[in-house]
Amino acid sequence: MKSKIPTYLQESEAFQPDIQGMRRSRFSFLDKTIMNSARTVKAVYLQAENATKDNFIHHIHPKVKFISLIYIAVIISLVSNLTAQLLITAFIMLLFLLAQLNIIQVYRKIFFLAFIFGFLVVLPASVNLISPGKIILNLITFNRPYNFWIYHIPQNIGFTHEGLQVVCMMFLRVLNSISFAMFIVFTTSFPAFIKSFKLIGVPDTFLMVISLAYKYIFILSRTIEETYLALKSRLTGNVKNSNLRKIISGRIFFIFKRSISSYENTYYAMVSRGYTGNVKLGLSAAFTAKDFIALVVIIVFGLGILLI
Amino acid sequence: MHIPDGYLSPQTYIPLMGVFVAATAIAVKKVRKDVSARNIPYLGMAAAFSFIIMMFNLPIPGGTTGHAVGSAVIAILLGPWAAMVAVSVALIIQALIFGDGGITAIGANCFNMAVFMPFVAYYTFKLFGARPAAKSRVFIAAFVSGYLSLVMTAVLTAVEFGIQPMIASAPDGKALYCPYDLSIAIPAMAIEHLVLFGIVEGVITAMIVRYFLKNESGLIYAFGKGGKND
Repeated sequence: MKSKIPTYLQESEAFQPDIQGMRRSRFSFLDKTIMNSARTVKAVYLQAENATKDNFIHHIHPKVKFISLIYIAVIISLVSNLTAQLLITAFIMLLFLLAQLNIIQVYRKIFFLAFIFGFLVVLPASVNLISPGKIILNLITFNRPYNFWIYHIPQNIGFTHEGLQVVCMMFLRVLNSISFAMFIVFTTSFPAFIKSFKLIGVPDTFLMVISLAYKYIFILSRTIEETYLALKSRLTGNVKNSNLRKIISGRIFFIFKRSISSYENTYYAMVSRGYTGNVKLGLSAAFTAKDFIALVVIIVFGLGILLI
Repeated sequence: MHIPDGYLSPQTYIPLMGVFVAATAIAVKKVRKDVSARNIPYLGMAAAFSFIIMMFNLPIPGGTTGHAVGSAVIAILLGPWAAMVAVSVALIIQALIFGDGGITAIGANCFNMAVFMPFVAYYTFKLFGARPAAKSRVFIAAFVSGYLSLVMTAVLTAVEFGIQPMIASAPDGKALYCPYDLSIAIPAMAIEHLVLFGIVEGVITAMIVRYFLKNESGLIYAFGKGGKND
């Protein structure tokens, strides 16, 4: 008798758990990657979108914040005085307090990034191999100095005063720039902030692409969570690495297909609302006295820092 | 690969920002010509996809895991000009929202990973003359394009780092920006990308392209018209 079971139900599961395999990876590996990434994206989105608290800093014009971001980022990159960098750190912390943001939660992330990019990466520059100078703490002493190709290894290797200054400077620079960027993000609606890019001549088309991408990212990250849960519910035990690679490649393929479908739906929705291919973003509100005061404060602070 | 603030001097990040802006203006024009009125939602989708692709970690043969920069696979799937816009938008969002890469370094990061890398990857892939029927050749071409483009981008980034002590030091010789000169920056970046990250990028690029090839090869831009918006 001919089977009436649909063919797709007769096919074997593409990703069978491999009980015998020696080289396996735990499926929870995906938890640490896809799910965590999706959650991070969602958390940041919610924090950024909730930037409408009833606080005067949140109501400062996005253009003022955009100008401040560029201005302060350039100041941070120009200043090579540790005291001045520390003053910037204190100023940014004060801004976080004034904005009534959860300073501990935000700075946990900021310090993590600053520790990796501003400390660990430049730590080798604290020794005399990279930063010549007076050794203040000796680490290794060889019998004699060595020369290897274009490299010179001195007899004594240790931390130098100049090297430690370089490390401190880089750490503070990275810390300050990340924290100021985070401050702006957490106190400004991202779409409104993006519109401010017009100030430096970024065309409306490009800004529209950024705005759409921003929305798509959060829609797609939700899709990732859902597809992952659907996948997980069908699998048990361990999965071979080779199968895991296929699964993830498949997820990426699925996301691509979903992206195309989202893009087509968005396009038709835009066409139905009169979109003809030309983009012109609406004008934002005019500056108020508060905005001018905020801008002046930032400019004066920056100039003061440069004079130190 | 994402350069944070503080590593590059204004003498470096300002010209790179200029080059990136000019290249993106050309890219927007090219893509607009290719996909007409649909270009904006299309590029938005592409940017989101390139952002998302950077989130996926894959287990690599040998026991390690890693995530792709994604520029190579995006260039092969969407074409180099669309990849330029997509990856640069993804990088801008990463810098502004997630603190990955500096604000002053946006131009440099976009130049390296959104302008230089997709073109190297795309033309390396095309150089192999891979066709959908030749699956092994497509796999090798995708691997080499991912590997080579990342290694070359790493060397380019190392050069940007390595010239800082030469062009921006204090009068007493103390480094003001990246403290590593070319003799340190190039070997450090090149070796780790030659032996590890390049392989990660290559494997991820090859596996994603192979999956697309197996399931819907028509979605791979590099196979269509030989690159219609070249």
